Amino acid sequence: MATVKSVRSPVALPDVTEARGARFPRLWHFAAEYLLLLPLGAVIALVWANTLPESYFDTAFRLEFLVNDVAMVLFFGLIMKEVAEATAPGGALHPRRRALLPLVASLGIALVPALVFAAITPYFGEPRLVEGWPAVLVSDVAFGYFIALVIFGKHPVIPLFVLLSISANALGVAALAVAGAGGPLRWDVLLLLMAAALGTALLLRRNRVRRFWPYVLVAGGLSWCGLYFGGFEPALALVPIVPFLPHARRDPGFFVDAAPGARDALSRFEVWTRHPAQVALLLFGLVNAGVPLKALEPGVWSLPIALVVAKPLGLILGVALAAAFGLHLPQRIGWRELVVLGFVSTIGFTATLFFATAAVGPGPVLSALKMGALLSVGGAALALGAAALLRTGRFSVR
Amino acid sequence: MRRCVSAFGVIALAGLLLAAGSPTDLPNAPNSLKLAVLGDNGTGDRRQDDLAAQMVAAHKQFAYALVLMVGDNFYGSQKPADLEHKFARPYRPLLDAGVVFQAALGNHDDISTIDYAPINMRGQRYYTFVRQNVRFFVLDTNILDAAQLKWTEAALQQASEPWKIAYFHHPLYSNARRHGSNVDIRVRLEPLLVQYGVQVVFAGHDHVYERLKPQKGIHHFVTGSGGKLRKGDLEASDTTAAGFDDDNAFMMVEILGDDLHFRTVSRTGATVDSGQIRRMAPRIGS
Repeated sequence: MATVKSVRSPVALPDVTEARGARFPRLWHFAAEYLLLLPLGAVIALVWANTLPESYFDTAFRLEFLVNDVAMVLFFGLIMKEVAEATAPGGALHPRRRALLPLVASLGIALVPALVFAAITPYFGEPRLVEGWPAVLVSDVAFGYFIALVIFGKHPVIPLFVLLSISANALGVAALAVAGAGGPLRWDVLLLLMAAALGTALLLRRNRVRRFWPYVLVAGGLSWCGLYFGGFEPALALVPIVPFLPHARRDPGFFVDAAPGARDALSRFEVWTRHPAQVALLLFGLVNAGVPLKALEPGVWSLPIALVVAKPLGLILGVALAAAFGLHLPQRIGWRELVVLGFVSTIGFTATLFFATAAVGPGPVLSALKMGALLSVGGAALALGAAALLRTGRFSVR
Repeated sequence: MRRCVSAFGVIALAGLLLAAGSPTDLPNAPNSLKLAVLGDNGTGDRRQDDLAAQMVAAHKQFAYALVLMVGDNFYGSQKPADLEHKFARPYRPLLDAGVVFQAALGNHDDISTIDYAPINMRGQRYYTFVRQNVRFFVLDTNILDAAQLKWTEAALQQASEPWKIAYFHHPLYSNARRHGSNVDIRVRLEPLLVQYGVQVVFAGHDHVYERLKPQKGIHHFVTGSGGKLRKGDLEASDTTAAGFDDDNAFMMVEILGDDLHFRTVSRTGATVDSGQIRRMAPRIGS
């Protein structure tokens, strides 16, 4: 049985918000675990690619399959673990109707930026960048979560952001299938192997298999093969498998470390993969963020501009759409919080890098999209600035 | 830096002097394959028109049947009227004379232009075609995805023609300051080109003309000044064989048996570089 941390209603929050004195050390621990390794890899990559391009691109080329298609499986497995746990009592997705408003609103936060991106990109003179449109739909859950916590602390806006991001990223996965990057899609191969993967996971679950290895290696392996040979993104192999892993009865909260003594399969999976996933993130930044700066064209700006203009607008339109369906925002969330949240959602970073890489093949188009993904980190400053201007979150006048 | 500029000046001057002394440096043989190479041309402005006029004039003496376009065939708006203005209008005399244009995609080209019939891409981002004893490989380096690399390797493997020429937009080697060599593309593509014996590569993107010394046995040309020009952008290095960044230019190429002859002509009609490449035993000289 997993060690379960106390959860306060109405939403599960990690201990980072427990006591003011303890908040920031835990926040920085969280930042070190989830946020600093990828930027570190990205900075090394940028310096390396612009000083010794031959050795950088040669190394990145040799590593990219291992990192992007294999190692990142662990990272997305861990992100999915957060979602799976959120469906447990005390979690943000429990009961599931709680997710209805973010689900509808995410249509706005994903699709409006895609439309704006498609509309403005030709004016930057590089029309082919539009082919990376799935990268505009998504947001960096971990980075955005950190910024939202810094701005709002304990506030209903936090689970709303996480649910919005997860939902928008799910739309991004669907967009990858539609975009069909890298060649023809083999739906027959995908469906056959994915059915075998899900059947295996179900069988393991029904037989009360408590170890996570059979789920990861057998079901995950089949899922990976289905995605890879079907022409889809294999790094998402554990996403459909992780929900089958037996997990704790209550949600410990987003990005809260499983206790070392936890025995449920999902917690053991997290304990085992935590550090390898961090190495994967570091390598992901290293392999993918090396952009030759002098070769960049003005088109680089189309992605961050589309995000900054359209994410806040898309969120407000999405919430309006949800309201039209009779859904209501949680208490204490008004238009000012939504605007700030919209800017938090402009941080694409890891997610945008990953989806851009999955959506288009290597080359200058991808380089421009990657640079746009790196620039989207500036959304953090915009969110902080908007919060200060609108006097909300930590800047509110009490 | 100053030394590099001076070195480049000497190279350019030597090219111009040589050109002045040998105006008919192409064999112009009756059964040879004659073609022109053009890049970064689709501006629709005066420079493109002037160079097109030079191409038309050259065609009267050197009747090339084919034009290789290395991308950026159209800048800015690419509606049907723009395609007419930026392509069909300036090259009308050549089109009327039956010259066939075969284009690659540049970073400024809209993907929809692959369906524009006069540039003969036939809806393909990358494709191959044969003329006489030469197999051409036209690639889309904007997005060099796994499927394209796989196709390229298969096409190279199957090619039995003695000459193999690849062309695409982004140069694997370039000494221009603005963009320079695209190393990301190079590490993926060059091993295939070397393995399957491609002899010549034409690219654009940098708005200059540059001929590089053979790299791993392949002769690389940057011909990105067919309409755009980035004056003074070329910084000659030890890999530069010749260059010209004072004005727009296009190339005329003649393949006769085991020899490829080339001549690069500026907007004013001056020959700015010329030479010969011999197949199997690479040798190049001006």
